[in-house]
Amino acid sequence: MNTFFKLRNYALIALMASSVVLTSCGDDDDDDVPEPVNEVEVITDVKLIFTNSNDASDVVEARAQDPDGQGVQELAILDTINLDTSKTYILTYEIFNNLETPGEDIGAEILAEDDEHQIFFSFTDGAFSSPTGNGNFDNAADPINYNDLDDNNIEVGLNTTWTTPSTMTANGSFRARLQHQPGVKTATSTVNTGDTDFDLEFVINIQ
Amino acid sequence: MIFRRSVKRLMFLSFLMLLSPIVGLSQSDSCNYSVRGTVLDVKTKKPIPYVNVVVRGANRGTVTDINGAYVIEGLCSKVNTVDVSGFGYSDSSSTSNTSQGETQNIYLEQKALKLKTVNVTGKLEKKKGTETISQIQMGQAELSIDPTRTLASAISEQQGVSFTSMGSNVQLPVIHGLYGNRVLVLNNGMKHGFQNWGTDHAPEVDIASASRITILKGAAGVRFGPEALGGAVIVESDPLNLRNPFNAQVGAGYQTNGRGYNSSLKLGQGFKKWSYFVNGSFTKIGDRETPDYVLTNSGKEENTFGAGLRFYSGNWDAKVYYSYVNQNLALLRSSIAHSGTALTQAINSEEPVIIRPFSYDIAEPNQLVQHHFAKAEVSWKNDKVGKLTMRAGRQINGRQEFDVRRNSELPIIDLELSTTDYQLDWKHKPWMGLDGLIGVQYFYQDNNNNPGTGTTPFIPNYNTDRYSAFLIESKTFGKNIIEAGVRMDFEINSVRGREVNQSIFRDEYDFANITTTVGYVRELSEKSSFRTNIGTAWRTPNMAELFSFGQHGFKTQFGLLRYYFNEEGEVRTDRVVPIAESEIEPEVGYKFINELEHKSGRNRHTLTAYSHYIENFIFNRPYAVISTIRGPMPVFIYDQADALFIGFDYSWNRSWTESISGTLGISYLWSTNMSKNEPLINQPPISADYRLTWNQGEFWWFTASKFTVKPRYTFQQFNAPREVPPEDLIDGTEIITNDSEIFDFKAAPDGYFLLDLTWQFELNRLSGSLSVNNLLNARYRDYLNEMRYFANEPGRNIMLNLRYRIGANQKGS
Repeated sequence: MNTFFKLRNYALIALMASSVVLTSCGDDDDDDVPEPVNEVEVITDVKLIFTNSNDASDVVEARAQDPDGQGVQELAILDTINLDTSKTYILTYEIFNNLETPGEDIGAEILAEDDEHQIFFSFTDGAFSSPTGNGNFDNAADPINYNDLDDNNIEVGLNTTWTTPSTMTANGSFRARLQHQPGVKTATSTVNTGDTDFDLEFVINIQ
Repeated sequence: MIFRRSVKRLMFLSFLMLLSPIVGLSQSDSCNYSVRGTVLDVKTKKPIPYVNVVVRGANRGTVTDINGAYVIEGLCSKVNTVDVSGFGYSDSSSTSNTSQGETQNIYLEQKALKLKTVNVTGKLEKKKGTETISQIQMGQAELSIDPTRTLASAISEQQGVSFTSMGSNVQLPVIHGLYGNRVLVLNNGMKHGFQNWGTDHAPEVDIASASRITILKGAAGVRFGPEALGGAVIVESDPLNLRNPFNAQVGAGYQTNGRGYNSSLKLGQGFKKWSYFVNGSFTKIGDRETPDYVLTNSGKEENTFGAGLRFYSGNWDAKVYYSYVNQNLALLRSSIAHSGTALTQAINSEEPVIIRPFSYDIAEPNQLVQHHFAKAEVSWKNDKVGKLTMRAGRQINGRQEFDVRRNSELPIIDLELSTTDYQLDWKHKPWMGLDGLIGVQYFYQDNNNNPGTGTTPFIPNYNTDRYSAFLIESKTFGKNIIEAGVRMDFEINSVRGREVNQSIFRDEYDFANITTTVGYVRELSEKSSFRTNIGTAWRTPNMAELFSFGQHGFKTQFGLLRYYFNEEGEVRTDRVVPIAESEIEPEVGYKFINELEHKSGRNRHTLTAYSHYIENFIFNRPYAVISTIRGPMPVFIYDQADALFIGFDYSWNRSWTESISGTLGISYLWSTNMSKNEPLINQPPISADYRLTWNQGEFWWFTASKFTVKPRYTFQQFNAPREVPPEDLIDGTEIITNDSEIFDFKAAPDGYFLLDLTWQFELNRLSGSLSVNNLLNARYRDYLNEMRYFANEPGRNIMLNLRYRIGANQKGS
């Protein structure tokens, strides 16, 4: 009987020991570093490209840059938009995350998800002969010449047309805002629907 | 007629009780004796629920139900002595000579010295080292009123306890103004190993499987280690009693708000040498609703499983536990704002920006969590040596968080945290009048980022090794207890992360600290007693406080090592500061807590007053609005300052009649940033409540019935930082520098009044509760809920929860 009890005690010690072994396997201090990632969210550089619709070599570019992405360094608007009077321009974009090498083309990604995105505009009232007015920030139904539609036939804004009048504008404002509207983009969604991917205000001169 | 008969029976039984020991029926076989009866208050003659009843020498015990009734079956001896110990009562023992079914009432006398437990195996050592700290316990009956609640919400009804939250699903306990890493959640004897940072990560603990929760309101760092700076929440699962006949319980419930349903199953059995339990639960809740609108994306889904096994043999006692919690928790859709403009709009809008019809669907933002917990515990008892307990635990916590973003199908956070614990305790036999506990502990955590998030990790990979040793001794003389303890910890950390340009950063650092506690309990007179405790505790900054970088939810956050000020005093975030170069120090807290309890007649007053000074207190605060490509963005930083917390909890309990009693509770806390002489952010406001309970006992055809009405008023937080709306920062009306006074994007919400009702009932084997929260359907916002920027709290919620017992443990004959 005594031996039996002893044996049982040994069995319990064995159980105790095995629990230690079970819980400690493969736990030595490792030195793993998180794998490098392809940042898909950060935008550091946006370039607005105005191309004369009659002359593909007549290009006006305006850049905005936030060199540290999510860091606290302030956004810099690097260029002024200088357009000629009485011309028609097609506005397209280059949108990049240049924290990575090579830079990541976020524009391609936005195009792939165009049913969740729309670009809205706000500008000095009457700066353009078409669209007229001051843009569609204040009222989403206001005219903007969108050239692209998503699968649901709703405007996207990665390609828009702008006609300058014969009158000049000095030190005007031109603001473009890309809204990310997953699941909430509709024909009536506005500049306040969803979240902002970029919101850039440039100085515009039409001369 | 029936009434008269039952009174007669009661008188007869009481008479039998007085004639104890009672002559029992002769029994031939062993191990089918039982003891049963009711535990009553000697003065009020009212039943006392949730007291421990243990059969001396048989290692068998139970807890009384809401009617104070207990039954312990399968006893091998005809003559049994039961020891009874209860919260706030003197211990008592009673010997009976019974066979089956005889009722034996035990009267307990109210006593000021709380929680001096006796003879409950596996429980005494948990109390050891915390005897002089103010504490509260909750039993299964209270917890089962709403088994779908979070741990934090369940315990927040207690004085001095509240919770901070990120909506209805993610809630963290707050004890005297402290939360997160400052309140240790001890799950089944082990520190719950989870992503404990920020306000958006709640402990994955299933209260439906808990048998008891103890809340320690003082610094319990010596006994439980760093992180018990502000207190501890101790969750205990099934005690695995031996010689416990097969018992099972099936539960189901429904709630109107969120149209949620839950079900649970528990079963267990104890034999002479071994016992087991198994439990599982399922919960699904859809979008919650405020009185006016749906809180779009606020549902949750939770599955849990737990099992335990125990072997007992003479001096040896071995237990093995496993539990699994799987959660999918939705966070309010409207809490996501990716720019200052969107945040301004979300904050200023009366109603959330996005409201969709009710749905059970959970979409982004949400959190998927799986928590595995395994533990083995072996103890050895010897009359000459005392008791040695060895515990080994392993936890694996997998967490994926999804944000609303272009690549929302990818988790933005994907972490796996494994935690390993070894603890060896020696509860030595009394030596020179000293009772003590000596222990050594090793704690190891390994955190890894899983690839595939498409974003730079918010939290780095890290490993933490901690070696600890502690000693706690107490001496009892007369009715006074002195308790003192000391602890040493040594912690080594290794951190590896990525900067946004994907270059690697590394840091290695260690901390060593000594923690002490001294406490004293004195019975001043028959009617009043006094307890006091001074405890120190420390805490190393957690990884989020040090290293977080970038956007998550509606915040862009920078940890203490991710920002610095350049020579012009401008904040910069372009490099990770090595900790050796920084001025970061661990938090060290000194908590002085006193409790005075006074009883006279039908009244009991308890006043708990405390002051808590914390050096290098780390907190998260709004810092600025910076311009980014997305537009202006609100930035939050972690900051460090010396802080002082002063407060009290007061409760007044009065028995108005034999069956009606009421408790008034008031919690007050004032806190300040001593370094800058300004308020702290996110501190609990003053609150007051009254709980009126009508314990009817037998009622109508119910075997037990109890009504509770609880009006509650929460004041506005008067001591909140000033309000600076984000638009003022965006348009430059308000310019913030490093020396600016602390601010918040929105003023603290108004005070609010809530009324809750609960009816608990029992019908033989069926028991349950019907309760209404926020009966008046009040519209309010809670200062400690981060969703207060965006939406109201849920409105009226009617809940029905039923439990049906199968097998033994039922009352009556």
